[in-house]
Amino acid sequence: MTAATAAWTSVRRRRRLIPARWRNPLGLVGAGIVGFCVLTALVGPLVWRTDPNAPDFDRLKGPTWAHPFGTDDLGRDTLARVIHGAQVSLEVGAVAILIALVAGTLIGLLSGYYGGVVDLVLMRLIDVLFAFPGLVLAIVIAGLLGANRRNAMIAIGIVIVPAFARVVRAAVLEVMGFPFIESARALGAGSLRIMVRHLIPNVVAPLIVLTTLYFSTAILSEATLSFLGLGTQPPEAAWGNMLATARSYVDQSVWMSIFPGLAIMVVVMGFNFLGDGLRDVLDPRVGGGVGDVVTKA
Amino acid sequence: MHRFLAQRFTSMIATLFAVSVAIFLMVRLLPGNIVDIMFGGDATASPEAKARAAHELGLDGSYPSQYWRWIKGFVDGDLGKSLLNQRPITDILRTALPITIELILLGLLIAVVIGVPLGVISAVRRNSASDYVSRIGGLVGVSIPNFWLATLLLLLFSRVFHWVPPLSYVSIFQHPIQNLEEFFMPAIAISVFTLAIVMRMVRATMLEVLNLDYVRTARAKGVPRRRVLRRHALRNALIPVVTVVGFEVGVLIGGAAVVEIIFGLPGVGYTLLNAISNRDYPVIQDATMLIAAVFIVVNTLVDFVYGWLDPRISVG
Repeated sequence: MTAATAAWTSVRRRRRLIPARWRNPLGLVGAGIVGFCVLTALVGPLVWRTDPNAPDFDRLKGPTWAHPFGTDDLGRDTLARVIHGAQVSLEVGAVAILIALVAGTLIGLLSGYYGGVVDLVLMRLIDVLFAFPGLVLAIVIAGLLGANRRNAMIAIGIVIVPAFARVVRAAVLEVMGFPFIESARALGAGSLRIMVRHLIPNVVAPLIVLTTLYFSTAILSEATLSFLGLGTQPPEAAWGNMLATARSYVDQSVWMSIFPGLAIMVVVMGFNFLGDGLRDVLDPRVGGGVGDVVTKA
Repeated sequence: MHRFLAQRFTSMIATLFAVSVAIFLMVRLLPGNIVDIMFGGDATASPEAKARAAHELGLDGSYPSQYWRWIKGFVDGDLGKSLLNQRPITDILRTALPITIELILLGLLIAVVIGVPLGVISAVRRNSASDYVSRIGGLVGVSIPNFWLATLLLLLFSRVFHWVPPLSYVSIFQHPIQNLEEFFMPAIAISVFTLAIVMRMVRATMLEVLNLDYVRTARAKGVPRRRVLRRHALRNALIPVVTVVGFEVGVLIGGAAVVEIIFGLPGVGYTLLNAISNRDYPVIQDATMLIAAVFIVVNTLVDFVYGWLDPRISVG
């Protein structure tokens, strides 16, 4: 083989390799859906300027040019309310995930790094959270704290913490066995330095996957809590409480029940697709497709 | 095996204890005193009335003595009365529990009866049209909100078939037909998520098992294809599915709480949500404990079954 052909094949191989790893149709569809949802939440109100809370005499209408998604029982524009609902869902999802991410990473890190009594105590705590059906725990926490959006975020965040803590702990335990941790310690690195410089970078990949997958859980839970009257309170629009209101008017207008539900389904699907795709790309160890949603609450 | 059973049983008791303490503290460590909330800032309420209310709620005395009285109440079947309607809580929960259990069992049944065959077909005819349809169906299944699905089902049946389910609950032992008419829609609504998970799980494990040597050996021996699938492959592929069931019961309990509200079935979830909206603290505490206990016991049973199906587990 001449040098020229060798160079050519290596170039060709590199070109084929890199995109092949990222060529994941479902993941790309998911990224598209999530991107569209984020875009809708950010610039939607600038494009569709109808006030989501402005009543009109045109009540309970189906889709028209003036109201593409129809109007609700007070004549409010459903499209504007669905757009506002996207903002609510993403905000609740982001805050809940942030709570779970920070608390879960901290618990998993301390548990895996120190082991012994620390591990025992923290893991018992996590076991207790895992011993509840997830949604029931969220309902009880949100209900006891009081029905509003902030408490719903806290409740959903707490419910998701154990999943993050366990994954981080497992990853830390795995990394702790590698010689580079020992050498870092031999070089005089303190606990904090080992955790920040050596352990955290090694759990980033599974955390990205987990964050995406659990974003869908968080959005679904927020919708459920709002539907039950334990999340975002009317008159503010959230997908869940729009569906709850729609139930009373289902005989007069089917459309009220259709669009918010469709929005939830599509966005949740988007995060699931993206999460599955990211896992294939970033973290194939987690087991292709079997253990995925199974570990979700 | 006996050691495994004993170990799992002890850990179940420990978890039940830890969870009961967590629920006990959750209700008490709330911002604000429950008795004060009950009297709604009524400054004229006499201390005696407050003390009486605290006693009725089991909120007087030290935490350990309160806790002991509460747990003893569970064992004795005397949990005090609901704040809302003065009904004994034991009675409320006793009528609610069978409803939730029936709903969960029906949901599980639907998920397994439909999910397993779909998973097998998907795995055997890999990359065929039916594989793609069930895989995409599975992805939709884990994304569709169950309360929306319930609404859609109600709409479908009332608009297209002009049929609405009966509204007042009857027990399956009194009117089996009417009971199932009431339960099938909520059961479908909560089963879809689990069905999708079971299907994906069966598909993935079947694909793995079908490539193993013993399956090839069986085929080479001349065992008919269907028999290989049923006796050799599916049997082993179903073992991991059992583990999901424990977890999925939790999902089904959560789903049941929501659809019980939609379909007006007075189960445990319905009771819990009603208690929350009425700030009926004793009922919140007891219903939560009951739900958690059911979930923990089911998970222990699943572990037993798993240990029995796969002897490697109980040894290790």
